[in-house]
Amino acid sequence: MLALRGIEKSYPLAGGSLPVLKGIDLNIVQGEMVAIMGSSGSGKSTLLNVLGLLDGFDSGGYDLDGVDMAGLSEKQAARYRSQFLGFVFQSFNLISFKTALENVALPLFYQKVPRRERQKRAMEMLGKMGMDDRADHLPSELSGGQKQRVAIARALITSPRVILADEPTGALDSTTSSEVMEVLREVNASGITVIIVTHEADIAAQCDRTIRLHDGVIIEDGKSGEVVEPTARGARSQD
Amino acid sequence: MFNRETWIEIAHTVTANPLRTALTGLSVGLGIFILVVMQGLGFGLQNGVEQDFGDEARNTVWVRTGRTTLPYRGRQPNRYVQMRNEDEQRITEQVVDAPAWSGRRMMWGSTVGYKNEQGNYPIVGVEPDFDELELLPLKGGRWLHADDLAKESKVCVVGENLLDELFKQDEAIGAFITLRGITFRVVGHFSKNGRWGNSMVYVPLTTMQRVFNGSDEVDQMVLSTGDLDLEGSQAMVEAVDGDLRMRHSVHPDDVRAVRVRDNQEEYAMFERVFTGIRLFIWVIGGFTLLAGAIGVANIMAIVVKERTVEIGVRKALGATSGSILSLIVIEAIALTLISGALGLIAGVATLNAVAPYAEHDYFADPEVNLRVTVTALAVLVVAGAISGFVPALRAVRIRPIEALRYE
Ligand SMILES: Nc1ncnc2c1ncn2[C@@H]1O[C@H](COP(=O)(O)OP(=O)(O)OP(=O)(O)O)[C@@H](O)[C@H]1O
Ligand SMILES: [Mg+2]
Repeated sequence: MLALRGIEKSYPLAGGSLPVLKGIDLNIVQGEMVAIMGSSGSGKSTLLNVLGLLDGFDSGGYDLDGVDMAGLSEKQAARYRSQFLGFVFQSFNLISFKTALENVALPLFYQKVPRRERQKRAMEMLGKMGMDDRADHLPSELSGGQKQRVAIARALITSPRVILADEPTGALDSTTSSEVMEVLREVNASGITVIIVTHEADIAAQCDRTIRLHDGVIIEDGKSGEVVEPTARGARSQD
Repeated sequence: MFNRETWIEIAHTVTANPLRTALTGLSVGLGIFILVVMQGLGFGLQNGVEQDFGDEARNTVWVRTGRTTLPYRGRQPNRYVQMRNEDEQRITEQVVDAPAWSGRRMMWGSTVGYKNEQGNYPIVGVEPDFDELELLPLKGGRWLHADDLAKESKVCVVGENLLDELFKQDEAIGAFITLRGITFRVVGHFSKNGRWGNSMVYVPLTTMQRVFNGSDEVDQMVLSTGDLDLEGSQAMVEAVDGDLRMRHSVHPDDVRAVRVRDNQEEYAMFERVFTGIRLFIWVIGGFTLLAGAIGVANIMAIVVKERTVEIGVRKALGATSGSILSLIVIEAIALTLISGALGLIAGVATLNAVAPYAEHDYFADPEVNLRVTVTALAVLVVAGAISGFVPALRAVRIRPIEALRYE
């Protein structure tokens, strides 16, 4: 489904450049639930953004669903984001002047789905998230957990093959976090690949597989229980 | 691009940001409003002056006299200079070669009676050429003939106010009325612009001189300059002026005693003033437009900046650059167009509301120059489109992640 081969990326800095990804090889198959862990600044978000076609890379290869993503035009990238990928952000990124329902329906607008149909499907999706009673609320009228449910509904509305979530529980308390994780697990159970960037070991523990990044390289990759180490637990207690 | 979905999206963002919608609307609407009102007022001013001139043919010279203010050739000041038939005869036969002329004498507040009705009207004694010199659109009957003057006939031509006030339903032509107690026959009636004009009763100058005061006095003289150019008419003015001053011993610098006014010159002066006013309006209008365009550009730049993260989010959700660009550009166009149209409507409404209160000798029928206004609106809409397009292009060109991270 997703295959990275020797991905390298650096950010231009005043007087040089900062290498952030230093040769990432990664294969993720359809239906996996993967956690990406690592210390702050290790390149987790950068990796996820490359996977999500939100950012480019300098060298290496990226195949999405068997198609090479190198040299993709802006328009093609938009189509892949629209049809294959769904995003969940730490800061939710809901559009502030649109209601929950309109936010959820927006990706369908870019797929040229008729309005009536959009509304209907968005309402259904909100229902699945247990949010149908908040459909007409603006994001400012929702709690953090509710916002993230709306954001997940929005990511799911186009039936993507992959959900990319950058610290989806980072702004939530532990009870709400586990509710959101519950939702994401259900999403994964329906066959959608889920990739989550997280600092929290118990979030990673709910995934099938954990990848640990350090300074732009993958230092560990395996079943969640085996990868999560006491250091990670230590890191979590500092949060 | 112009489907219903886009409009719903736009309606949404426009109503979701009332402050900036109001600001854009204000800068564009106010610009158009000011332009419309200024154009309208300028036009009204010109209209007014032109109507005022409309009474008198432009190619006329008016000769008036008054009291002397300077001693000259042993004569004391404060002497009234009275023109007489002989002056008129000499001037038209020997001094200048005018194609048409008329002496004029006026008796204000004369009692005019018809059957049991009566009222006060000015009676004016003139000669047959007068209707060419001061335009008196005849509405019925005939104007005064040379024959009337030769025979000193008691006939008159009346303004439409007398029809309303004295004759009411009766036929005026052929009716007999009394002017200061003397019976005259009405031979014609006319209607013209202006307040005073329509209350006049015109009679042959010779008749007036004989029956009302038995004199040969003439109060004013009107001479046509034919198709002389400004230089020619000025020469005519000087000839008449010089002749009168010599005959009546008036000091060359005495501006009150002999006044010869050239309508053509005066009109030319008004023309210059109007050219100035028009230029002024253009300059002000231009600056207003510029200010409006800058206002729109500023606001659009801020709007796009503010919406950078939103642009990133939309891209993450599958929006193409084109869809975001067209959204912002159409939004900018719609905003400028609607607020411009509102400014236009408000401007026209203001002019219409003000017009009745602004009736004045030098102001009439303010009108909106639609061509100018529509051009101005088009300029602002294009400015709005460009000022939406440029920052939006910059915003959609950056990678989505940069837009998402934007602070
Ligand atoms: N736009 C950018 N320009 C320059 N440097 C950047 C940019 N984005 C990230 N970096 C740098 O790249 C490195 C990796 O950043 P990244 O956001 O991927 O880290 P992360 O693992 O997600 O960290 P965190 O856990 O704090 O979110 C950091 O050193 C960061 O300073
Ligand atoms: Mg990060």
